[in-house]
Amino acid sequence: MAEHTTTTTPSWLLSSNVGLCPCGCIGKRTKGSFVEKTLTGGSDLLRQVMFSDDLARRSGLLQRLDPRAKLGGMLLLLIGAGLAHHLETLLATYVVVLALAGASRVPLGFFLKRVWLFVPIFTLIVVLPATLSIVTHGDVVVELWSWHGQPQGLTAQGLRSAALVVSRVAVSISLVVLVTVTTPWNRLLAGLRGLGVPRMFILVIGMAYRYIFLLLDSVTDMYEARKARTMARVKHDRTARAFVGASAGALVGKANQLSEEVHQAMVARGYRGEARVLDTLRLRRADLVALAVAVLATALMLTADRMLGR
Amino acid sequence: MTTQESLISHDHAGPPTLSAGDHAPLPADAPPGAIFVARGLRYSYLDRFAALDGVDLDVMPGEMVALLGANGSGKSTLLKVLDGLVFPSEGTLHAFGHLVTEGNLEDEQYVEAFRSRVGFVFQNSDTQVFSPTVREEVAFGCLQLGLSAEETRQRVDDVLGMLGIADLADRAPFQLSGGQKKKVAIASVLVMNPEVLLFDEPTAALDPRSQQWLAELIVELNAAGKTIVYATHDLDVLEQIATRCVVFSEDHRILASGPPGAILDDTALLLSANLIHEHSHVHLREGQRVEHSHAHQRGGHHH
Repeated sequence: MAEHTTTTTPSWLLSSNVGLCPCGCIGKRTKGSFVEKTLTGGSDLLRQVMFSDDLARRSGLLQRLDPRAKLGGMLLLLIGAGLAHHLETLLATYVVVLALAGASRVPLGFFLKRVWLFVPIFTLIVVLPATLSIVTHGDVVVELWSWHGQPQGLTAQGLRSAALVVSRVAVSISLVVLVTVTTPWNRLLAGLRGLGVPRMFILVIGMAYRYIFLLLDSVTDMYEARKARTMARVKHDRTARAFVGASAGALVGKANQLSEEVHQAMVARGYRGEARVLDTLRLRRADLVALAVAVLATALMLTADRMLGR
Repeated sequence: MTTQESLISHDHAGPPTLSAGDHAPLPADAPPGAIFVARGLRYSYLDRFAALDGVDLDVMPGEMVALLGANGSGKSTLLKVLDGLVFPSEGTLHAFGHLVTEGNLEDEQYVEAFRSRVGFVFQNSDTQVFSPTVREEVAFGCLQLGLSAEETRQRVDDVLGMLGIADLADRAPFQLSGGQKKKVAIASVLVMNPEVLLFDEPTAALDPRSQQWLAELIVELNAAGKTIVYATHDLDVLEQIATRCVVFSEDHRILASGPPGAILDDTALLLSANLIHEHSHVHLREGQRVEHSHAHQRGGHHH
């Protein structure tokens, strides 16, 4: 016989809560916690990825090329930029990269923002000391202090070296960003596979990319569920840390369960440890021409750099 | 032959037959020609939480078997046992006349034959749709079973067209809705042309139109010769998509097995299996039985 459960509704559940003050007065505003900012950042990332995917499907110059040709060309130009010793060579290369972005219908503002957001992170800490006379000796152009009567500060040689490093990093990041925003993620993975990157490695990256969004959704849901029940003004950082700890634990459990089920889903369809995937790429004449142009451009870049002298 | 006919015709003359190291004779009471013969299956999670407690089940070719039971009654676990994804601690399972064990499924010839004959559509489509694009996802199973790239491409195009999702081929899974993901998950199994299709809660979390589409697809596949086994606690679609119902009790055993009409008429059975509440009612809508519940005021029973 079925088990019957009877419940009694407590009286407090039947009475209504105090609503908003009828006089229209307002309370004290509180700032969002770091958790909220992090999650908003996560959502922004998702939007950016969606937008990038949109860019990758536009009909531009680079979008029409095979990802292997793009990756090959990018590698050649990266090597070229790494070997160039003159600021002029790198600046000329940068102008070409910007022109390619324009021809691929990538909005210039978006492109510049994407690149120059990373440049300070990767280079500023490294190059700043090199501009000082105590690291790079030379002609002091900006005096900051003196040491035994000798002016010390920023040297012309140091600044030039710093500019060289910054422009090399900017060109390199621009090339990578340009290829990634003009190639859909799945085709980029297929391109890497076509260039000999192990299949298992590609499978793991592909799945990580696939499920990171699912887990991001889970975290957002958890946070929103908490936010929907948060009314009192609390010290954000302490409770936020407690929330991060608790949700990280829950998320690890969820990810573990998910990985187990994904593995079962793979096994159910015949996976036995070695993934076989569909190769959908075909090199066309335009791709070979693009690759040849990249080879010529790299050769031209290095020749011009050599002609400028050491 | 139409695309759909070609997809749902049996093409298992080629794949290897099931034979491997572990052997056990079919139980004496096993009906001849049964696809699955399970006897005394017991399974528990972490050796503590029972999921199956002495389950016997036979599935015959061409059947549409609905496994009915409340949440946690063991339906999904039984489907995973039938698909050789988890293995019972006690009892035996024979598929196509051969014993299914962990050891046997390590044999290349055996696993290829078994996986190409049995397809499993998971409840959570997110676990099943793991590739970067829909096309690669649908192609996955065929490629693992060693089909050529050319044949795989052809099958993928056919099955995407058949399910009306050809326009999603190059989309990433995170860009799909729940219903679209379910279609992709079904396509990824159907493309392997299995003889048996296992569905875990097929209509759960789908909107009414997608539910009806799926019910019609299941009937169509069954009419084409596929054997269907699915877990559900949705009684609304039973008479449409089941030729037999197997009812699980909340203590993980099989309470009853029979045609949908007889099972749905047995209110005491449905109540004891926690499939309906005492406030549930059965109505007839256009000749079809529809079970639903009404909320009642405490202390009264008005309808």
